[in-house]
Amino acid sequence: MVTNSADINGIRDKAAIVGIGETEFSFDSGRSELQLASEAIKAACDDAGISPHQIDGLIRYEMDTNQETMLIQSLGIENLRHWESVSYGGGAGNAVVGHAASAIAAGYCNYVVCFRAANLRSQMRLGQARNPQRIAGGQQGFAAPFGSMAPAHQFTMFVRRYMHTYGATSEHFGWVAVTLRENASRNPRALRRDPITLADHQNSRMVVDPLHLLDICQENDGAAAIVMTTPDRARNLRHADTLTLVEAAAQGSGPQNEGVIYRPDISVSESTNTARDLWSRAKLGPSDIDALMFYDHFTPFCLFNLEAYGFVPFGEAKDFVEGGKNIRFDGMLPINTHGGNHSEAYIHGLTHTQEAVRLIRGVSTSQPPNKTIDRVLSCSSVAQLSAAVIIRRG
Amino acid sequence: MTQQQDQNIKSRPMTKPLEGVPLPDLERIPDYERGFWEGSHNQELRIQRCSGCNTFRHLPTPMCPSCHSLEYDWTKVSGKGVVYSFVIVRNPVHPAIREKEQLPYNISLIELEEQEGLRICSNILAISPEDIYIDMPVQVTFMPTVDEPTVVLPLFVPSD
Repeated sequence: MVTNSADINGIRDKAAIVGIGETEFSFDSGRSELQLASEAIKAACDDAGISPHQIDGLIRYEMDTNQETMLIQSLGIENLRHWESVSYGGGAGNAVVGHAASAIAAGYCNYVVCFRAANLRSQMRLGQARNPQRIAGGQQGFAAPFGSMAPAHQFTMFVRRYMHTYGATSEHFGWVAVTLRENASRNPRALRRDPITLADHQNSRMVVDPLHLLDICQENDGAAAIVMTTPDRARNLRHADTLTLVEAAAQGSGPQNEGVIYRPDISVSESTNTARDLWSRAKLGPSDIDALMFYDHFTPFCLFNLEAYGFVPFGEAKDFVEGGKNIRFDGMLPINTHGGNHSEAYIHGLTHTQEAVRLIRGVSTSQPPNKTIDRVLSCSSVAQLSAAVIIRRG
Repeated sequence: MTQQQDQNIKSRPMTKPLEGVPLPDLERIPDYERGFWEGSHNQELRIQRCSGCNTFRHLPTPMCPSCHSLEYDWTKVSGKGVVYSFVIVRNPVHPAIREKEQLPYNISLIELEEQEGLRICSNILAISPEDIYIDMPVQVTFMPTVDEPTVVLPLFVPSD
């Protein structure tokens, strides 16, 4: 019943990422979320070589507490021409970039900012139960009475089923953890920089069996922002020498998404749909991609991503990640050279876009040594809804 | 290695519903969810079924996602099913889990025999969580919650 996506890519190369910025990442920022947002956006504008006064578009995460009016006030925005809120947390990661590109392509604004700013450790912890004690309806009422109260509870159902279906083991997930941490060990922004071994992963405590502690992303404070504009404007800004373009974007849901766990088959990701649309719009395939930014809320979903986007056949990601050789920064397909949500910081996926930009600029702290990075895929698998973007050198 | 070691240490089986966790407010839930909880209260597992195309559905919705009929009934099902997936929670994310020392506990996704893909979330009692496996046959049982005895939960026990 699913119809093919229109064979149109109206955003192709119409928007450039010209600035990236962030605050430090921490477990207690000691300041307001408005201050975090303002600092990260100012840093991104500095990187781009524009003034925050020039911002005329904002794409925020619906979950973010910073409303447009607050940022107009704080940043001295003179006229906000365009704004959007993208729903969900991880599901908005990458999606905000696609929305921003479409706003630029449509001519709604000249300088658009995507941002995410939150004290997700010192204030609202997403990993803790957030249900009301008496639930007035909806999926929570059919889950929380049985103790299913956190994202790890729902998403780990996928992991168990995946292990059953394809024979993947905790050690396979461990290789992802080891690789991401090794990348983070070179990244001064990263919260977790001490290298780990597969044994460390296996000996870390079980949190939601089959997930160990070292399968699970950080809960932290911090903010990230990116600035986008037209390629013509980009040629007159600070990073004019490295044009970084949004080539294609896609979002997808799959069926039966409410409550996540009721989908027809939870050993595959909803993002198989997103992947099909992305490749068809971009007229590209897995062999065109030089590096991967995977939304790594939990390590197993890096394997889901490899399969959903067609880098390996279904069931073979476990073999691809084993030993870490293929996915290391100097391997065939580097994953999360910044360390990802797992070891750098959890800013709902926006840091992944930033790292894609660094790779294209050639300034990642885990820059692949033997090849130029011309094209990066940033995507998510097994979120409530998923999104992806391809970012390329112009 | 560690996993194998963990599996050799059997945790105590769950014997009753979790205490202190969030529960549905039966006064405020929407009309299209009520039949599920009324069924449990009467020791019956009732699943929403479309009157137009006879398709079962869970989670409950006002409209049939297959044929878009607004008519449905609450059909008593056998309560037999198999484990589709499960997790063992070993870290408390809610104060009541910690305070009442309710770790570990299992959350299990049960596929009911009436229809492929028809699944509900529950707990399996009377078995160490380490012994639960995918495709394990289970049978429904009912228990009131301690916190709100009018809320009766459908729980499962191993069957063979």
